[in-house]
Amino acid sequence: MKKRNLAVCGIVLGALVSVEALAQSEAQVDDHYYNDRYCTTCHGADGMGSEGISAPRLAGMEEWYLKRQLENFRAGIRGTHEMDLQGREMRPMAMPLTDASIADLLGWIGSWEYKPTQVTLAGDASAGRTLYATCAACHGDAAQGNEALGAPALAGQNDWYLVTQLKNFKSGYRGSHADDKLGAQMAPMAGALADQAAIENVVSYINTLGR
Amino acid sequence: MPQSVSRREFMNLLGATFGTSALIRIGSALSLMPAVAALSRPVLAAPAPGAGKVVVLGAGISGLTAAWELTKAGYDVTVLESSNRAGGRVMTVRSGDVIDEIGNRQVCEWDAEPHMYFNAGAARIPSTHSNLLSYCKELKVDLEVFINESKTAWVQDDAMLDGKPIRNAELSTNVRGFLGELFAKSFSSAQLDEPFTEAESETIMGLISQFGGLDEDMLYKGSSRAGYVSGGFINHGVQKDMIAFKNFMKSRMLSLTFTANEGETGPMLMQPVGGMDRVPAGFIRALGDRVKYETPVKSVKVKDSSVEVVYLRDGEPQTIVADYCFNCIPAHFMSGIEHNFPAEYVHAMKYIRRGEAMKGAFQAKERFWEKEGIYGGISWVNAPIRQLWYPSHGIHKDKGVILAAYDFGGGMNYTRMTQEERVEMLLSQGEKVHPNYRQLVEKPITIAWHRMNHMLGCAARWGRSGGGMTLAEEELFATLQQPAFGRHYLIGDQMAYHGAWQESAILSAHWALADMDQRVRSAAA
Repeated sequence: MKKRNLAVCGIVLGALVSVEALAQSEAQVDDHYYNDRYCTTCHGADGMGSEGISAPRLAGMEEWYLKRQLENFRAGIRGTHEMDLQGREMRPMAMPLTDASIADLLGWIGSWEYKPTQVTLAGDASAGRTLYATCAACHGDAAQGNEALGAPALAGQNDWYLVTQLKNFKSGYRGSHADDKLGAQMAPMAGALADQAAIENVVSYINTLGR
Repeated sequence: MPQSVSRREFMNLLGATFGTSALIRIGSALSLMPAVAALSRPVLAAPAPGAGKVVVLGAGISGLTAAWELTKAGYDVTVLESSNRAGGRVMTVRSGDVIDEIGNRQVCEWDAEPHMYFNAGAARIPSTHSNLLSYCKELKVDLEVFINESKTAWVQDDAMLDGKPIRNAELSTNVRGFLGELFAKSFSSAQLDEPFTEAESETIMGLISQFGGLDEDMLYKGSSRAGYVSGGFINHGVQKDMIAFKNFMKSRMLSLTFTANEGETGPMLMQPVGGMDRVPAGFIRALGDRVKYETPVKSVKVKDSSVEVVYLRDGEPQTIVADYCFNCIPAHFMSGIEHNFPAEYVHAMKYIRRGEAMKGAFQAKERFWEKEGIYGGISWVNAPIRQLWYPSHGIHKDKGVILAAYDFGGGMNYTRMTQEERVEMLLSQGEKVHPNYRQLVEKPITIAWHRMNHMLGCAARWGRSGGGMTLAEEELFATLQQPAFGRHYLIGDQMAYHGAWQESAILSAHWALADMDQRVRSAAA
């Protein structure tokens, strides 16, 4: 099969590529090209998040939170609800990961430069500020997150992603898995937000907290 | 004055016969096929001194087209491709190849034979796609005939004939017989209103009779066109019994018996000898090391008199400054790449939805379809797999690769399925057509294009209304077709009204090249 691989590469890359380069491209198949580092395909350059794929920002997000979510996706605690299509898109990526490859990915993600997110919402931030008082108890006044409580930072995350997740928590698409203890705490909080407008207002307030 | 059945009357008749959805489909088939594409290659002026640098993002067909035309005109071109291969959604799978579907990586383990391949993306070249054909000729990509339609292939629908498959020829013959009878009756009544000469009546009735295979009383009672049960060469053939139309009434697949138009879904199409990736390979032969692989783009910034692109090479950021940028990166990825495009441009870019499509294939342990008299063509199944394609190449070899599914819409469902579930779907739906299918095929490959690394989408979707683009959508399209700040062109089949063809990608590149050339020429003037 190896020999065949070479032949195929040869055809694809064309006659101008030297034999040496072919040997290299075969090595790429085995060594670096097909690895677990797929994150930027969906999550964008430097993990800036990509609205086109509905994939959130990873750069600048807390390592402990990313680790827990990767483990949750891997274990099926997240990304298994029938209606959580984005979560279901993510889950197959986490399933083959080992603890070592998760550590590798977290190190890689940690090396990315954080740049401020774009605001895409035009909700009523002052109305959102009142609603945010409940959130602040766990996520902090500046939405900076609180590791001791297991509550991630919200400031600096893509606003459209926060809206999706609040809706998912509210609808039970996220946080309803029996082993998702922290998600179970979050779900009723999201449920307390009356409607789409309330969700957009609170996220619009989070947008004002900057990063 | 002679009066034919008008188009509207014909459509009314079809509507009454097949229901509105069939009407829409047939209507689409009649009007949606673009004209034979005129050769549209722009003749580019040589670049102004010191202003001939171009960066092309993505080595898909549109990017390669732009790169090749610019190279020939004397531009200094660099193509950045994020994956390790050229072609984009032009991809051929052979023994040893890795299917880089995210979360579902597969390695093809088919026999290593030249005919044992599967065109996982683009697979057909219509004779009307003049520009693609001209590049095949120029780049010495050998073509062979691709058999798109075989009347001996099967049609299977649980809603007709108790799910038993029927040969396309037999179904078509019976459906046409029924329609012929209807035409004959409608013509008879038209005759009362508008007297025809005897000769005219004979001509028209003769045509209707031929169309439907009717008897002298203008009734359909079966036809040898449906094939014989036995005999017919050196003894009398035993004709198949007619099947009354009521047996097919519940099927929504009957319109496919009319789709044998010449053109994009014509019976005869073409394919490159050895796999569709011979097309990008032809461009790569011509472009050489101008194409850089594994160079994902991080940012695209259009400046006053240049375009600055930052990309990664071996994980390290590199910067390239060019005069113009041609970009065939799927629009849905651009929201994850830093850029400084104008707001209305970004708004239009975000409007495009990524397409979904899934193809599957098996290695067949034997070419069992040939034993059923099928050589090439497509069987249709009213199930998510939709189609089975029998290879036109490798006839009479021991084995072949059968396309086991082509779901060209609604593919997001495959995101929910594991590879095992997909394969079981392919098998359980395929064995409705070929009873021993499960035993005859092996080594499955499935490719969901909206899950493929560096793609995450099939053909871009502009229209959301289901009936083509609305005026508002056309305006968004026009906004995005114009170059951002006069220097950045979004190209690819995503920038075509009629996507999902290599010709569309090529034409989008030609449009952009011609626009750039005009700007270059007017600057020089």
